[in-house]
Amino acid sequence: MKTIFQYIKTYKVSASIAFMLMLVELTVELTQPLLIRKIIDDGIVEKDSHTIWLWGSIMMLLALLAFLAGISNSFFAGYAAQNFAYDLRNALFQKIQSFTMTTFLRFPSASLITRLTNDVSQVQQVFFMSLRIMLRAPLVVLGSLIMAFYVDASLAIYLGIGLPFLAIFMLMMVKKSIVQFSAVQRRVDRVNRMIQENLQAMRLVKAYLRGVYEASRFEKVANALKKDTSSALRLMEYIQPILLIVMNLAMLVILWFGAGQIQKEQTQIGDIAAIVNYTMRITGSFSMFAFIITLFSRAKASADRMEEILLIEDGVENVILHPQIEVPSKKGELVFENVSFQYPRTDRYVLKNISFTCKQGEKVAIMGATGSGKSTLLQLITNFYEVEEGRILVDGLDLKEWNVEKLRQIIGYVPQRALLFTGTIFDNITWGKTDATLEEVMTATKQAQIHDSVMHFPNSYQTRVGQKGVNLSGGQKQRLSIARAILRKPEFLLFDDSTSALDIKTESALWDALADERATMLVVTQKIQTAKDADQIILLENGVLSACGTHDELMTSSTLYQRIAQSQADLGEKSDD
Amino acid sequence: MIKSWLQSYVYEPVLTKEDIKSSKKKKGARASNWRKVLGRIWKIVDEQRGLLVIVLLMVILSSILSLLGPYLIGKIIDDHMMKGEYSGLKEMIFGLVFIYMGLSISIFLQNYWMIGVAQHTVYQMRTGLFSKLQQLPITFFDKRQHGELMSRMTNDMDNISSTLNSTFIQVFSSVLTLVGTVVVMLTMSPFLTFLTMLIIPIMFISTRWITRRTGKLFKTQQQALGALNGMIEETISGQRVVKAFSQEQRMIDEFTEKSAYLRRVGYWANVYSGAIPKTMNLLNNSSFAIVAGVGGLLALKGYVSIGTIVVFAEYTRQFTRPLNDLSNQFNNVLSAIAGAERVFAIMDEEEEQDQGKNEAKHTIQGDVKFEDVSFRYDVEEDAPTISHINFHIQKGQTAALVGSTGAGKTTIMQLLARFYDSQQGKILIDDRPIQTMSRQNLRSQMAFVLQEPFLFEATVKDNIRYGQLQATDEEIIDAAKKANAHDFIMSLPDGYDTFLTADGGEISQGQKQLLSIARALVANPSILLLDEATSSIDTVTELAIQEALERLMKGRTSLVIAHRLNTVRTADLILVMEEGKLVESGMREKLIAKKGIFYQMLQQSIL
Repeated sequence: MKTIFQYIKTYKVSASIAFMLMLVELTVELTQPLLIRKIIDDGIVEKDSHTIWLWGSIMMLLALLAFLAGISNSFFAGYAAQNFAYDLRNALFQKIQSFTMTTFLRFPSASLITRLTNDVSQVQQVFFMSLRIMLRAPLVVLGSLIMAFYVDASLAIYLGIGLPFLAIFMLMMVKKSIVQFSAVQRRVDRVNRMIQENLQAMRLVKAYLRGVYEASRFEKVANALKKDTSSALRLMEYIQPILLIVMNLAMLVILWFGAGQIQKEQTQIGDIAAIVNYTMRITGSFSMFAFIITLFSRAKASADRMEEILLIEDGVENVILHPQIEVPSKKGELVFENVSFQYPRTDRYVLKNISFTCKQGEKVAIMGATGSGKSTLLQLITNFYEVEEGRILVDGLDLKEWNVEKLRQIIGYVPQRALLFTGTIFDNITWGKTDATLEEVMTATKQAQIHDSVMHFPNSYQTRVGQKGVNLSGGQKQRLSIARAILRKPEFLLFDDSTSALDIKTESALWDALADERATMLVVTQKIQTAKDADQIILLENGVLSACGTHDELMTSSTLYQRIAQSQADLGEKSDD
Repeated sequence: MIKSWLQSYVYEPVLTKEDIKSSKKKKGARASNWRKVLGRIWKIVDEQRGLLVIVLLMVILSSILSLLGPYLIGKIIDDHMMKGEYSGLKEMIFGLVFIYMGLSISIFLQNYWMIGVAQHTVYQMRTGLFSKLQQLPITFFDKRQHGELMSRMTNDMDNISSTLNSTFIQVFSSVLTLVGTVVVMLTMSPFLTFLTMLIIPIMFISTRWITRRTGKLFKTQQQALGALNGMIEETISGQRVVKAFSQEQRMIDEFTEKSAYLRRVGYWANVYSGAIPKTMNLLNNSSFAIVAGVGGLLALKGYVSIGTIVVFAEYTRQFTRPLNDLSNQFNNVLSAIAGAERVFAIMDEEEEQDQGKNEAKHTIQGDVKFEDVSFRYDVEEDAPTISHINFHIQKGQTAALVGSTGAGKTTIMQLLARFYDSQQGKILIDDRPIQTMSRQNLRSQMAFVLQEPFLFEATVKDNIRYGQLQATDEEIIDAAKKANAHDFIMSLPDGYDTFLTADGGEISQGQKQLLSIARALVANPSILLLDEATSSIDTVTELAIQEALERLMKGRTSLVIAHRLNTVRTADLILVMEEGKLVESGMREKLIAKKGIFYQMLQQSIL
């Protein structure tokens, strides 16, 4: 909670103003019975119509004052609560953006989404409520209790006896319910995840006719959410009845002993009436208590989930923290020195003892069987994952010395799964370089062999794509994401099998167009055709660099390479017969 | 100075005068819309009428008991203590013990059951919405952001849920207390009652003034939340790209902008909706003053007694409190309606048309014919994605679709699977137009390997089983072996029982494709559709599974898209596409002999 409270502090001025205004309202409300007594005692009993008018008008004025205070309270409370939520949301989002890939993957994406919206709303709502009504109930209880003791301490003590127990009881309930509401939020995550999964895989679900199956799977998840929510909420419903029964019994005890005291003429009847009246006021605000505790527990559960993210210290990228001191000595050079890598929390090496060098402007093809570590190798260069063993030098500088942002600015990475964002084609291509001109964009798209296709779209570069956009073929998506990378004129271009959906003609045109770039290219590929004109081919086998050289060299030296070539030649020959 | 200081706490209004005016004009329509939305929620709530009736009985019981308690205590004070009459006091107090126990129990039970009713309603709506999503055509999903849809199923639902929990009981008990109080007041002094009632029209008008604004604001707020959710979902799914291009700051800026809009809308929703209880307080306090003042003047003239004024003042409070509660609830209801409206908007979307829905199950032979088929994804689009396509694949034949990307190959597959319906021409399977067949029948006899392999958050085994839910473990392992996935599966920590996380990077794209192929192998279909099924798989592995695929294709009608021409060699029919048109088709040998486009493609691709 501590970290979350920090965010409230910023708005302590508006929050205090809101709080004061609430007190004004409360005071007016509490003084009204006194004013009525004044009207009765000084006005009606004394038969003085002037006094009645006077105090009647004062009551009206006070009512107006309370109203004004109440309305202004809305502004300040709204300001504080909305800004608090805004800051919190932004802080969470910023934190998530600063995560390393490893940290990022620790949280399922649906859970991050819930934390950024649902959890923030829960906490915000509680903050807003507490600035408006929440403190009212505790104040009423406190005030009434003090008044009761003032009237007759010997009787009021019976009220007092019950209270510590009730306090302990409520604390226990809070503790228990926080656990329960955390479970509820996890269920919300699960529901969210399942929906996201289905939206992403809608074609697959439809293709295999699994609509009903998915719906029944979802029913289970939704049912678990229902059960947990119900039991958490029901737990809270114990509070009010138990508080009520304890206080009501205390009141009866007071009546019983009070009657005895009156008999002995130790107590006035008016005092008993007053204490009973105060007890009723206390019980009257109990329904509020159950409500407050529910809200508070929910908020606490949500706050904990948000803190879990906000408090992560390591596992954050060194974007700002790490100013780059040393200047890279070479341009476009990449060196792997005995690099070994395993994914966090696994015990299997994905890459073992990899060493190679590539110079500026070289085109290096990376080949190997499915799952041999090709994509991982590329992702190490972008520093998505940190290398623990061995080192990688980019431009002559160890990756650990690089400022992540600067590093990624010189890298153009084309992921295996082409991913487009909601927006126009133009937006998507300039996504990594927002200030690019249309000419620059067109140069890039021409190189990426997608310009002609774009011109065929209904609104050419202004056509909407992404989740809300037009249907693009897999190859078109790939080429757009290639254009996005080239546009930045990076020193290094990393292609993670990003031409798999391109036909051979288009692909060779693409490589021809890229030949003019001075960029060092690392190309993960399955195709001998692509690898053939590379300056160097790196062959991975179960994470080990099994061979390295040009096409001709490998054709003589590597049996694996021969096998790959053979597999494609085989198919080629056969398709030729 | 104060003014500028104050202004720093006020945001630019969201609602314009036009908004409010137009909402005034549309009042009739809006009211009927609210009624409709409430009616629909009620319909679901009403499914549990039995429980609901019990809840109501409990509310009545607790209302009576909560009135009875103070009444008896008053009696104890008046009749026993005042008069010094202590016989029977014990009995009275014992009676009260039972009354208060009954009160606690009835309060607990009414809430306990109401939570059940409310949560079940939400569950019904949520699952209903989910099943509805499954019924919607692919075009629906093409046009919407995932995160936005997700927001409807969680944030909007949450809104409905929290309102349902409290509103029902509150409204009912408020009405009960209100009626009871008015009756008592009327018997005491009709004139003062009339004075107290004066606030009702004012209350009504002011509530309407406010809700005219809040109704719209709540809706805008939920929309803003949805948009924010959409952005978060997209950014987080694409985190790798965000990082690779070091666009974190821009994403943060974009997020901040959307977040600020939500703040602004939320602020005004808070301010306006917060005005309701405050207005009620004003009316409450002022009617208190009126009763005291006017009542006092009347008392001077001897029309009412002092006692009446004292009691009346108390009753005024009792009278306005439920009104206050009601108006507060009204606010909650408004925000729930805003959420429910968005939920029902999806429920009202048109479902995938299925003319042959009730068609009896029949076996598809697999004779596929396209007759002059044209299709465009967007009706407003100028150029059709595919136009005038004609071909015929006989039962058991393998057809290969070749052509450059964007030529329309995937579209043909999607049409055959009826993800979309063509605007022109006919697609016939076994000489029947596919529109007349049920999707159930059609798809249950097809198997797909889609361009982008997708794995569910489940075990490896369950992911393969997705193709055929009844498949035994042996069948699954057999399929995995054929797809060359067995070895890598065995190297995973728990083998076939390894739980795959959705974003987990430990399985490579190629391995995902192997699993997709295994999934299709388990399905055992009449028609097989392979869309770039092996694009991320290395050729050595591909060669190994080639045989399995060929065996799979034998005797089944298969439509295969491949960029590598190796798949083409076993095809009986080759369809060459270019810019949405079928430019060449026929047997391989014929096409080669013809030395046309296909021949050229072969020439270029040969090593």
